[in-house]
Amino acid sequence: MTTKKKRTPHSQNDRWVVVAADSAVEIPKKDDSDPTFIRLRNPSTDAASLYLLGSGDVQLYEVKAFNEDFHSWFIGQTVQRDGRLLYITPMDPLYLLLPYLIKAGKEGKFQPVDQVMMDEDFPACTRLLSCIRSQASLHHVAEEKEMGSVKFQRYSQERTMEWLKKKAERTVKILRKSNISVGEGVKSTTYVRVKQESETQEEDYLRYAHGLISEYISEDLSKALLKHLQLPELSSPKEVEPPSKKRKLTDKPLEAGEDYTKFNSSDFSRKPPKKMSAAQKTLAKVDKTGMKSMSAFFSPKGKAEKK
Amino acid sequence: MDLGEFEADNSVSCRLASAIPDVCKTEDCCLGIDEAGRGPVLGPMVYGICFCPVAKKEDLKDLKVADSKTLTEAQREDLFRKLDEAKSFVGWALQILSPNTISTSMLQRSKYNLNALSHDAAIGLVQFALDSGVQLKEVFVDTVGPAEKYQEKLSQRFPGVEVTVRPKADSLFPIVSAASICAKVARDHSVKDWNFPEALGEVDADYGSGYPNDPKTKAWLLKELDPVFGYPQFVRFSWSTTQTLLDSKAVTVHWDDDEEDGEKAAARQNNTSMLSYFKAGSKTSAQQSNTHQTHRFFTERRLQSLATL
Repeated sequence: MTTKKKRTPHSQNDRWVVVAADSAVEIPKKDDSDPTFIRLRNPSTDAASLYLLGSGDVQLYEVKAFNEDFHSWFIGQTVQRDGRLLYITPMDPLYLLLPYLIKAGKEGKFQPVDQVMMDEDFPACTRLLSCIRSQASLHHVAEEKEMGSVKFQRYSQERTMEWLKKKAERTVKILRKSNISVGEGVKSTTYVRVKQESETQEEDYLRYAHGLISEYISEDLSKALLKHLQLPELSSPKEVEPPSKKRKLTDKPLEAGEDYTKFNSSDFSRKPPKKMSAAQKTLAKVDKTGMKSMSAFFSPKGKAEKK
Repeated sequence: MDLGEFEADNSVSCRLASAIPDVCKTEDCCLGIDEAGRGPVLGPMVYGICFCPVAKKEDLKDLKVADSKTLTEAQREDLFRKLDEAKSFVGWALQILSPNTISTSMLQRSKYNLNALSHDAAIGLVQFALDSGVQLKEVFVDTVGPAEKYQEKLSQRFPGVEVTVRPKADSLFPIVSAASICAKVARDHSVKDWNFPEALGEVDADYGSGYPNDPKTKAWLLKELDPVFGYPQFVRFSWSTTQTLLDSKAVTVHWDDDEEDGEKAAARQNNTSMLSYFKAGSKTSAQQSNTHQTHRFFTERRLQSLATL
């Protein structure tokens, strides 16, 4: 018996199951600086994404959710319909600063970074500047000038590429260490290969790392990085369409592609395709290359010897 | 009848058996199989076998065993006591299939239906008798499903034993009647003092016969429904009575092997609509480039960015 089950709309939760770095939930030194969730512009999608600022806006964390259909939680004596598991993991704030620097860099001027960090949609973005790593790491992606006590920055594509390349190389190291399958096709983690394919995998690792980093940068930067890493662009096999069925016009006389005349002869009778038993089917699948056909054994001997 | 072994853990299947009479190991024996509690929505289903030497068949008649359905509960108790006392030549064994076993078998991913469950319980008991050294020559069974097919299945499974499958075998062959009494008594006992393993506090024990059409059973099912968990393990979840009640009164629960159809299900399974293949090529590729493709590191791990909590 199957009845159609209706999905009731999701009600808002006030509770989540979270795996967070210890530092993210540390009790802050100042009283008014509890860790807070903020919405910021995602550099890859340009849409809003959720982040967390911890320890009095000094550390930035990104929020990701493990979300699969048909999951719920039992928490203590209650049931939670939302079966998501949130991960709060440390993140380099430079990724989020980068789009603003690039935008300002188009003007070609050196500017103080707090002038650059302006966003009507996400006014909270200025809070990123208080992160420990923000100010200290700007030189990775920008040229700097100091006038008195004020620092001025200008976006530098070359520096950014070098910085991202280092990120990619570090990611490759981690990927290798954590045994992540980076090649094409699915591999089971329990499957142990006899031969280690080392050379071919180097490019796979780098490409995989590039893909991961591309989740944190704009599409333009991602393409530039691909070039910088000297990885050839892959053409997606999905977009390859089967050849058009339409025939091209030629001056040559057309010839029939297939011969249907045999169907017209009088002795031709349509035989229904024979049904094969399961055993016959498995036999039909056997690789027959290099095997003599059965009839070869019944042909006249002399003839066979001549060959 | 001592059901202690089953009551210790009534969530699983349990086998109870009498001692094997010595004559049964030397003389040719006949064996009857019957079941009790096939239809109820509450409590276990019990399979019973009874066996005795072929020569002693007539002695069973003297005990006046008859189809358990024609007897009152007191008469059945009395007859079971007599059977148990006749341990010099009568042996019995029971397979108690807990309601939880029935629920989980019938509702698991690869469905295991009640007939298959019944057949396997019967086969298991016959094998038990053979393994215990009973010299089986004849087996009589009350049928489950088409009699001929069942007979063929049992004959193949036990070559050298003459198998007779008949509807109403419990009124035709005294040895089947005896088996039916054993099964019925065990079923009655287990239902009467069902030991609820769930921490439910005081459970109303007035659940009637346990058959779906019993008004008492119906009322009890309505009363005991928990919106999240449904019922205690005493209830067979695979019964349509239970499922109808759960569908209408309890919180909806979705499983990944629920049969869904329509566009939503297709989207869930990542199927492409047939129509999409007929669209102009340029349009689909444009759509693809617009949407941001999350890297497989995240998609393989079902990780998503969040816009809000």
